[in-house]
Amino acid sequence: MIRLLLLLIACQATLARGEATVLAPGYGELAYEPPAPGTYALPPLGAAVDGQVRDAGGQALRLHQVLDGHLVLMGFIYTHCPDVNGCPLASHVMKQVQSRLLREPALRDQVRLVSLSFDPQLDTPAAMREYARHFRHRDVDWRFLTTDSEAALLPILEGYGQWRLKIRREDGSYAGSMSHILRVYLIDKAGRIRNIYSAGFLHADTVMNDLWTLAGETNPRTAAQ
Amino acid sequence: MRLILALGLLLATQALADETCMSPYMAKIEGQEDFVYVWTLGVAGVGDEQDKLVTVDVNPASDSYGAVVASLSVGGRNEAHHTGLTDDRRYLWAGGLDTSKVFIFDIHSDPAKPSLHRTVDNFVDKSGGVVGPHTFYALPGRMMLTGLSNNRDHGGRTALVEYTNAGDYVATHWMPTDDQLRGAKKAGQYADGYGYDVRVLPRRNLMLTSSFTGWNNYMMNMGALMSDAEAMKAFGNTMVVWDMHARQPKKVLDVPGAPLEIRCAWKPEHDYCFTSTALTSKLWLVYLDDGGEWQAKPVADIGDAANIPLPVDISISNDDTRLWVDTWNDGMTRLYDISDPHKPRQLFEKKIGTQVNMVSQSWDGERVYYTSSLLANWDKQEPRGPDLQYLKVYDFDGESLKQTLAIDFIAKQLGAPHQMRFGAYALYGDRVGQR
Repeated sequence: MIRLLLLLIACQATLARGEATVLAPGYGELAYEPPAPGTYALPPLGAAVDGQVRDAGGQALRLHQVLDGHLVLMGFIYTHCPDVNGCPLASHVMKQVQSRLLREPALRDQVRLVSLSFDPQLDTPAAMREYARHFRHRDVDWRFLTTDSEAALLPILEGYGQWRLKIRREDGSYAGSMSHILRVYLIDKAGRIRNIYSAGFLHADTVMNDLWTLAGETNPRTAAQ
Repeated sequence: MRLILALGLLLATQALADETCMSPYMAKIEGQEDFVYVWTLGVAGVGDEQDKLVTVDVNPASDSYGAVVASLSVGGRNEAHHTGLTDDRRYLWAGGLDTSKVFIFDIHSDPAKPSLHRTVDNFVDKSGGVVGPHTFYALPGRMMLTGLSNNRDHGGRTALVEYTNAGDYVATHWMPTDDQLRGAKKAGQYADGYGYDVRVLPRRNLMLTSSFTGWNNYMMNMGALMSDAEAMKAFGNTMVVWDMHARQPKKVLDVPGAPLEIRCAWKPEHDYCFTSTALTSKLWLVYLDDGGEWQAKPVADIGDAANIPLPVDISISNDDTRLWVDTWNDGMTRLYDISDPHKPRQLFEKKIGTQVNMVSQSWDGERVYYTSSLLANWDKQEPRGPDLQYLKVYDFDGESLKQTLAIDFIAKQLGAPHQMRFGAYALYGDRVGQR
């Protein structure tokens, strides 16, 4: 039988060969000087779609209520993701961003961090609450969201182009892990996607510069058209 | 049989073969590919005469191994040329250099039978006058397209054009020229504004472009072109170093003689890329020097330039030690040892056909695929036969190529085969364990 090994996000080839995992750039120092905030454009990449979600307290919300009027950094995760360069990378970098925001109150007050699970089966509001305990600082607005069902989740995934594949056992049952391409989305105050980061790109230095770039736009609805 | 797939690889630390030459931001196939998708030019008098996406079953374990299992025509001839997969590998983008149309194929719903998902037919208008979409390079959630020309004079001045994965226009990034350097500095005498290929080294925030020629030349009969001294001056002589994050050109490098395909090394300590120059028949190295500056220099000859071998596609091995180099005019493929990138050394050569253009290798380098067509008005017309317009597949044991499959695209009434991309059921969790 063919053995299928679906490996997640960066460096998996080294894992497949039994070699040491190479950590994604987001875990270390950036190897270049990123362009300064405001010196470059972040053209809109489409609308950040709406959907029905539930927060870690169990309250039902529309996703647009969460995005409303903020600069949003939103990552799709699932809490039992085993790959160090997958979802844990997203949460690690977002925690670094959180730390920087704590030192930049003018920006902090404009920014909302969002971690949205794409595993409604296992990531209940209680699971998200427990996960959040490891990351969220009380002085930063970081929401941990899930959905009630695949039916609620799939239109959101489709809208953001976030692909994932459930790994299944021989009997077809869900094995509890997924293949996916890591994506973290930067969304402006007008609800438009302005950047998409994956493991090779995701780094707190560039994310912070992008946030400052968007914060410096005088009219977010007409900026970078 | 063991199939290994790796998804979403973003670090440039991996050993990537041509299977993933397009982009490090993409799911990839490490084991046996199931299909090769061949973007094929329509040829007058051959089959339905239309451009088409030809799907060939290349898995030896399959009952239909070696067969054309699907052929999807797109309704006309567009000068079919290059293709590229989105980062999630669900869609294959394919361009027409003449009509500037972009065809987006769904290859995930049924990998054995792609369907046409969307046609972008306003590329020129949306981009502000860019003509000839060439390279389709996957970035996170979007595609970076290179142009070859423009709609003002149909010469070589052109731009990069960015689209979302959904096929919506995002932005145009014009190549720097002498009169508009756009913040770039010239390293030598040229800033011609021409374009061809694009590659990215994410760890260095490097985006690198190369340069070919405009619509006036690539749509001209090759004999007429070669005898037109003015036209022969209108080829690119530059590569451009871009700030990837800002999409801003930083430095224009002199690389005379039409530098075409770009292949970057993958090991984290290997800050360099190769290209070949079509007109001067040389391998060039673009590398980060000790002072942190990107430089370019010729590092090897490809055949005898006096015979105009015309280097075309190149393919780097999964460990940065070997580079396949095709030369279209003499139908040869050459293998170089690039262990020392500053001193490549030819290991051997083999004639593949009357003409040879594209070369793609599997992740492990054990299978090497070739197609023949370059451009409709440049392709040779004779001698007719199985070596004129073909897909050929070889096993490579590290020392020699052994042919395992060949399809005559004229005899099969398909057309002239150009770029190849691999497909696999397991990328989409389909039919796993059933084969």
